[in-house]
Amino acid sequence: MQIKLQNFTKRFGDTTVIEDMSLSIASGEMIALLGPSGCGKSTTLFAISGIHRIDGGSLHFGDRDVTTLPPQDRPVGVVFQNYALYPHMSVAENIGFPLRVQKLNTAEIKRRVGEMAELVQIGNLLKRRPQQLSGGQQQRVALARALVRKPDVLLLDEPLANLDAKLRLEMRSEIRRLQRETGITAILVTHDQIEAMSMCDRIALMRDGQIEQISTPSEMYERPASHYVAGFLGNPPISFLKAEANGKLMLGAENSLPMPQGVDASGPITLGIRPEHFGPQHQGPTVTGRVSFIEPQGREDLIDVTLPDNQRLRAIVPAGHDFALGQDVNWQVDLSRTHLFNAEGNRL
Amino acid sequence: MNRQTLLGWSFLSPALMAVVMFFLLPVILTVVFAFTNMSTSTGILGGEYQISESDLRRLPAAGVSNESVEMLAGAGYAVRPETLALFASDFGDERADELDALHGGAVFDDRRAIERALKDLRRDPIRSVRDRKAAAEMFRISILGQRYPTEAAFADAIADIGVPDADRAALTEAAYTGWTFTTQNFELLWELPATWRYAMNSVVYVVLTLAFNVSFGLFLAFSTFYLPTRTAQTFRAIWFLPRILPPVLYVLMWQWLTWDQGFISTILRPFGIEPINWMRHTATHAWTFIVLINGCVGASLGMILFSSSLRAIPETQLYAAQVDGANRWQQVRFVLLPQMRWPILFITSYQTLSLLTSFEYILLATDGGPGRQTEVWALAAYHTALSNYGGNLEYGLGAAYALALVIIGILLSALYLRFFNFRELVAKPRIEQ
Amino acid sequence: MNTSIKGNWILILALTLFSAPLVIMYGFQLIDSVSRPAPGGIIPQEWELTNWRFLWEPIDSARPSIWRVTFNTFVFASTTALLVCAFSITAAYALSRLNFPARRFFLAGLIMLHAFPTITLIIAIFIVLQFLGLYDSLMGVILVKAALELPFGIWIMKGFYDSVPWEIEMAGVQDGASRFRVWWELILPQVKPGLSALLIFSFLAGWSEFILPLVLAPGADAQVLATYMNAVIADDTRPDYGLFKAIGMFYALPVIAIYLLFQKRLMNIYGGGTKG
Repeated sequence: MQIKLQNFTKRFGDTTVIEDMSLSIASGEMIALLGPSGCGKSTTLFAISGIHRIDGGSLHFGDRDVTTLPPQDRPVGVVFQNYALYPHMSVAENIGFPLRVQKLNTAEIKRRVGEMAELVQIGNLLKRRPQQLSGGQQQRVALARALVRKPDVLLLDEPLANLDAKLRLEMRSEIRRLQRETGITAILVTHDQIEAMSMCDRIALMRDGQIEQISTPSEMYERPASHYVAGFLGNPPISFLKAEANGKLMLGAENSLPMPQGVDASGPITLGIRPEHFGPQHQGPTVTGRVSFIEPQGREDLIDVTLPDNQRLRAIVPAGHDFALGQDVNWQVDLSRTHLFNAEGNRL
Repeated sequence: MNRQTLLGWSFLSPALMAVVMFFLLPVILTVVFAFTNMSTSTGILGGEYQISESDLRRLPAAGVSNESVEMLAGAGYAVRPETLALFASDFGDERADELDALHGGAVFDDRRAIERALKDLRRDPIRSVRDRKAAAEMFRISILGQRYPTEAAFADAIADIGVPDADRAALTEAAYTGWTFTTQNFELLWELPATWRYAMNSVVYVVLTLAFNVSFGLFLAFSTFYLPTRTAQTFRAIWFLPRILPPVLYVLMWQWLTWDQGFISTILRPFGIEPINWMRHTATHAWTFIVLINGCVGASLGMILFSSSLRAIPETQLYAAQVDGANRWQQVRFVLLPQMRWPILFITSYQTLSLLTSFEYILLATDGGPGRQTEVWALAAYHTALSNYGGNLEYGLGAAYALALVIIGILLSALYLRFFNFRELVAKPRIEQ
Repeated sequence: MNTSIKGNWILILALTLFSAPLVIMYGFQLIDSVSRPAPGGIIPQEWELTNWRFLWEPIDSARPSIWRVTFNTFVFASTTALLVCAFSITAAYALSRLNFPARRFFLAGLIMLHAFPTITLIIAIFIVLQFLGLYDSLMGVILVKAALELPFGIWIMKGFYDSVPWEIEMAGVQDGASRFRVWWELILPQVKPGLSALLIFSFLAGWSEFILPLVLAPGADAQVLATYMNAVIADDTRPDYGLFKAIGMFYALPVIAIYLLFQKRLMNIYGGGTKG
């Protein structure tokens, strides 16, 4: 089911949280709404689910206009951050509730609950109460309940936030498997870039109620549309250097880099270099500086290099090197993978 | 109207109805009644119109001319079908017919005139003086003692006996037996010295009881805070009981403790102290016990609230204070007490209002005595309007008393709003449609 | 923290002294109801049940039977409690969870009513009941008591509703249930403990109520235990504390039993609600 959100505006009282936002999602696609807290991603999710009213613009599921439809009538399943399982109902009753509301007969409910339970692999837990389940199991019940109605759209609101690190890995692939198997259009709201990149076909990166960039995870990582996107993605984060463009990129008095191919700029710009594209192991032009910080990580080390003009570059260097604090170095930059942004923060 | 609004209103409406019926309406009515002279004698529904013998004397003061008063008192004697019928049954139809023929429709101003007419009947005059007197009485028309249900009926009646137009309005007003609007309640309250005494009593009562409640509540909370759980629970239970025991029983226990053959008297007798009723002996005794009786109930509320806010203070703060060398008193003084500012303020403001208006325990314990020395304002309102020995319950005056409390109540409870994080309380519901 | 008995003996001594009058009163309340003290003394002389004679014979001719009065009290307390609960669970839900015009206004009103000293209205209520023809009837007192307890009940229930996660409600709506159904099937079960606490609390409040029946239903037909006991005490020229205490015991037994059974739950309300 294709989802089309057009010129969506949302106000709370006098404050406009989201203005004129548009987003379209292809049928069967899984998309992530990524951004820091307060960027409006949950608001968008609640608007699509129908819990929040849409103050301006329209929402279509396929050809159907659902803008003013109450949540009860929208073909949407939601998994909440804390799962929102009904504590007084057993697992089977929880999953069966949406069907009971539709007044299906008991046998039919039982059959479909069983089916769903098998799909999310909790067939042996149907008689338990939510509080007797582990976090991962509760998550699976919440998924089953969201899917049992056979909705056209699945909304996931920070579904992994309440899980420990190991379960998070497991549920990441589990949710993706379910989404692929059912072919459902899904929206994942998260503030975790890894989650967004590993689970989704496309990412919509949000900032202050606007979509900053929407593209595939690799495209977004490789060609960030703005300073903000480049800074948001990547761990350890990208290093930004202030530079002066005048045929060359001047980094203070001592260092300079040639202009990357196909870029035309002059005046003050910002240069973004990811830690994996700087270090002694790369090919390309060099930058001189002094090692100011070393953080061992096991397989590799993070090394900060402070340039003569006090700007700082971070590098990922394979372990087993013999660099020491205070040592002067002259390391290579993979120039073709650097990113240039103008004063407004847009990609050049 | 959307579905949520509809559901909201229908969910609210039963409660709303109850609130309107028993809060809003009474508040308005208290204001209205305070401006009336409603009492047992006027009744609470509309009254009737009636002039009695005894009313005659006060009529001139009410602005009715003496002429009219005489008219009402001196009445007249009218020969009319209804008076004739009365006359006929005692003195015969023939006489009646003749009188009708001679004087039908006439009105005699004084008794001698009608007596003369009776004596002058040609066919069968009434000769006996006594009979004539009795017969004359039958023609007497008077509105004294008559009840007229409506103003119109009364107006007809006084027009009939010839009360001049100028006096009719004043007379009608004076004849009305129901309640009327007046400001005399407030004038009375202002003039009566008792009013000020009741107000002072209320102040004394609230200040003393509040002081006891807060300080003793704090003492109970702090002392049980430092005790082993079991011991603390026992003491808390002892102090909590007064709150849940029915007031009638709770006060009975105090009555037993203090009456002249009760516990205190019996214990003190071997020491040569005469048995007295310790609660009602003097005003000081009465006040002491009133404060104790209310205080033991109020202190338990303080204890519960203070205890729970004490428990909310992280224990690590106490450990830190101990490590810093603070003794127990210093812990209380410098660590715990400063964090109890809000609960203390809350209890104070809350109980000020409830103490000011409640009179249940005083009613049961001393009923305002001895004399009227423990009569607080709220109890005075109750006594005036709902229960007094005279039997004439002055609803209007009582409402005037109550009105003062209602106004204070509204002001203080509006202030009370500020204790709550109202913004959070009214946070918009998160499901919008 | 030192919480041994030994280290706290001064505190315990002080508390014991302060508590002594109350403990003495409780103790003799128990003892005197089943014994006869020596004349002019307080030490019980012999154990006997004559103080409880009011249970099987009328104490004087004008008084209604204790069982009739007890029945009245039970009807009064339980009907009040049911009304308060029934009205509170809907109104509190509306105020806590539903979006409708003037909600702010009602919430502010609720807080004010919660603090407002209702007893000041009794004169006007007395006259309202006369107008309605409900004066001196159990029905009238029940309605008044329920109405006066209502702001408190709504306040308490709103607190319980507020603590139910919004997500449960959202999930219910998303699962296709109407708001009414969400309330009835999903939210109400979560506030059951609160509801039962409120039910018990209102029952106790009704059971102990004195002023309202005294003023609004003084007749013999609508007498409740509080007014009955008060009348027995007031009418006696020579106080018979043994009898009074036995009646008091009979009156207070359900209260104490309920308190002992539901202590934990009730503390929630006594602490959180702050009424009285």
